[in-house]
Amino acid sequence: MAMRGLAAGQRPPYLMAVAVFVVLCVVNAILQPTFLRFGVAASNVAAFLPMILVAVGQTYVVLASDIDLSAGAIVSLVNVAVVSIIDGMGGTGPSIALGLATGLALGLVCGLFNGMCVAVLRFQPIVTTFATGIVFAGVALWILPEAGKQVPPAVYQAYAGAVLGVPTVVLILLGAIAFAVFAGRTPFYHALRATGGNMQAAYQTGVPVGAVRIGAYTISGLFAALAGLALVGETASGDPLIGGALTLSSVTAVVLGGTALKGCVGGVTGSILGAFILGLINNVIFFAQLPFEWQGLIQGLIILTALAGGVVMARGRQG
Amino acid sequence: MPILQASGVRKQFGGVVALAGAQFTLEPGEVHALIGSNGCGKSTLCKIIAGAVAADAGRLLLDGREVSFAGPRQAAAAGIGVFYQDLSLIPEMTVAENIFLGREPRAPSGLVNRVALREAADAALAQLRDVLGAGVSADARVAELSADQCQLVEALKVLAADPRVVIFDEATAALDRNQVAALFERIRALKAQGRAVIFITHRMDEVFEIGDRVTVMRNGATVLTSPIGETTRDALVTAMVGDAVAAHARRRRHAPGAAVALQATGLSAAKLEDVSFELRRGEILGLGGLHGQGQSDLLRALFGALPLRRGTVQVDGQPLNPYGPRAVMRRSVAYVSGDRARFGVMAIRPIFENLVISLLARDRRWTVARRRLEGVIAPFIERLKLKFSSLRAAVSELSGGNQQKVVIGRWLATRPGVLLLDDPTKGIDIQTKEDLYATMDELCSQGVSIVLHSSDDEELLAVADRVLVFNGGRVVAELSGEQRTRFALYQAAYAAARPAAAA
Repeated sequence: MAMRGLAAGQRPPYLMAVAVFVVLCVVNAILQPTFLRFGVAASNVAAFLPMILVAVGQTYVVLASDIDLSAGAIVSLVNVAVVSIIDGMGGTGPSIALGLATGLALGLVCGLFNGMCVAVLRFQPIVTTFATGIVFAGVALWILPEAGKQVPPAVYQAYAGAVLGVPTVVLILLGAIAFAVFAGRTPFYHALRATGGNMQAAYQTGVPVGAVRIGAYTISGLFAALAGLALVGETASGDPLIGGALTLSSVTAVVLGGTALKGCVGGVTGSILGAFILGLINNVIFFAQLPFEWQGLIQGLIILTALAGGVVMARGRQG
Repeated sequence: MPILQASGVRKQFGGVVALAGAQFTLEPGEVHALIGSNGCGKSTLCKIIAGAVAADAGRLLLDGREVSFAGPRQAAAAGIGVFYQDLSLIPEMTVAENIFLGREPRAPSGLVNRVALREAADAALAQLRDVLGAGVSADARVAELSADQCQLVEALKVLAADPRVVIFDEATAALDRNQVAALFERIRALKAQGRAVIFITHRMDEVFEIGDRVTVMRNGATVLTSPIGETTRDALVTAMVGDAVAAHARRRRHAPGAAVALQATGLSAAKLEDVSFELRRGEILGLGGLHGQGQSDLLRALFGALPLRRGTVQVDGQPLNPYGPRAVMRRSVAYVSGDRARFGVMAIRPIFENLVISLLARDRRWTVARRRLEGVIAPFIERLKLKFSSLRAAVSELSGGNQQKVVIGRWLATRPGVLLLDDPTKGIDIQTKEDLYATMDELCSQGVSIVLHSSDDEELLAVADRVLVFNGGRVVAELSGEQRTRFALYQAAYAAARPAAAA
């Protein structure tokens, strides 16, 4: 059944992302001969994981033709909240558990709040989540005005470690993929795509579009919280500004992965590839030893090229 | 006991009464045809039964028990299925996903059972396999299907829910004869199972072919319910017309010149089939018929906003080429959309900007010479009797009628030769309507030609010199002179030959 939807000459929307991903891997491997070593690959996954997680959550919101511009702020908020709780309670075992649980709960509440504003109060999604994002980021700054505090070594050692030889970060990635595979088979996923594809028709069919949109925002909030936790493990400290850039890069990853901003078309597979692409572009630029002042320019041009390729392929699909 | 009973149903939208105490009963095992002119309330009644609109007053009984639906979801759960005229399909999803949206077969785990979904979709498609045509499979995206295929998939979607009460709202509009026959076969199968069907159609043939009983609505009330064998076409049309004879005593007369201002030959587009006509100088040509039979599409096509498949348009004897709104504007053709909120006013912008936008677009101005333009638009403001506090005020501060005057005014300022009006008086007050009629008369006397579509049949018959009656994208009749009566209009609107099966 993996080939479902590929029949009748249909290409998956993430085909372009696969091509770009392969090209970037080859280029990266040439520039950095150790690229394919297990340890290097795992450290790449660790570096990309926060963006991957935010992009996965963002995908569900975008499939419903909404957008979550507060995801990065949720990452920051969860990051500083978790570090503050663990640090404030002395770094004991229970404090770590409480910190992680609070972090996830925070993500859930933020996502629910976004969803309620958009689906119940009918606020416009872009502006609403832009505004809630400012609120979340403001709360993060209030909790921890500047980067600092520490978590006990157990936390970052566990994050950097491995279970049965599999690095923790890879396990988290596999967990996210498993979630996506599971979610993709739920009736909710059909309702989600229907909502994004034609909200009026979905409503007339009896799809609870409000609940579906709230659900998507909640998933996005939870994945942003997971990204916040991953950053706790990665940096071992709190930073109220750490998530800011993740919002738009997650949207970029989703679009690079072939998910349409108008909803319905696309999926998590593409978004994960899209996040890898964005990460690999940074790698390539780093290992190509480009002068610093060129990096932004080159990065932007590569992203534009990848997007253009997706557009060309989409036109081919229609014609 | 009736399966469905509606009594004393009232509904008001703003100041407009859509339903004024409608009665309707539906027996198990019957097909009940529901007909009436535009705005008679049949769609509103169906939307209330479908849970999409809440009634202001009245009772709805299902199996003798009073029900009140909070939304389509609750109505569907109660066994009511609706074929929506505008369809309820998701273009980017597959046929299988659409047919079973919200009712996907599930595995014991609660996840969608994709194998079962496919099989169920194949089984559903098999019901209409002979008439579905090529390219329809469980895995095909709906976006790739043709209009008739989409209608059949919508029908299968409705049937797959196994509803006890089915509302078919113009379910046959895009279908050929064989497809209609296949759909009727399914409907007869429903009857045999004791299900009940409400059948809305714009073809009188179908009323008599599939209906067991027929109800006619007029002005928000049910005026006639009869077994199909005890009535005739003329009796039904008479019921639709009512006794509101000569409500508009002063039928307008213009004196069209001999010159042809606009000529359309064999126009075919997405929802238009082979439409031809001539519009003379100083003439008002009306477009009538039931809602959505191609009238608005024709106006958009004439304005170059709808791609033509075939056919040519000539303005003042010269073909329109290139084709597109900007090119058409330059040939002195103006268009007022029927969707004022979306395509008419720029709500938060000043009245001034709303009045000069067409001039600026036509003349490709880069700068706005405010004082000069205020001089240009002043006479039109006066002619239209436009009331406002300041030209700088947002157009959204005006009443609906005055907003419409602004939209019309922006086109009058371009001094058009041909004016295309799509339902310009919808939702505006009587005084404003009178102002607009007076403006139209004045324009005609100056040699301007007008193509008018109106959903108000009385207005159409009173204002237009000739009326083209549309059905299914075709012109099925032309009414002029003394033929311009409601009776003739409804008779023509409901009578149409159906195209044979496509080759």
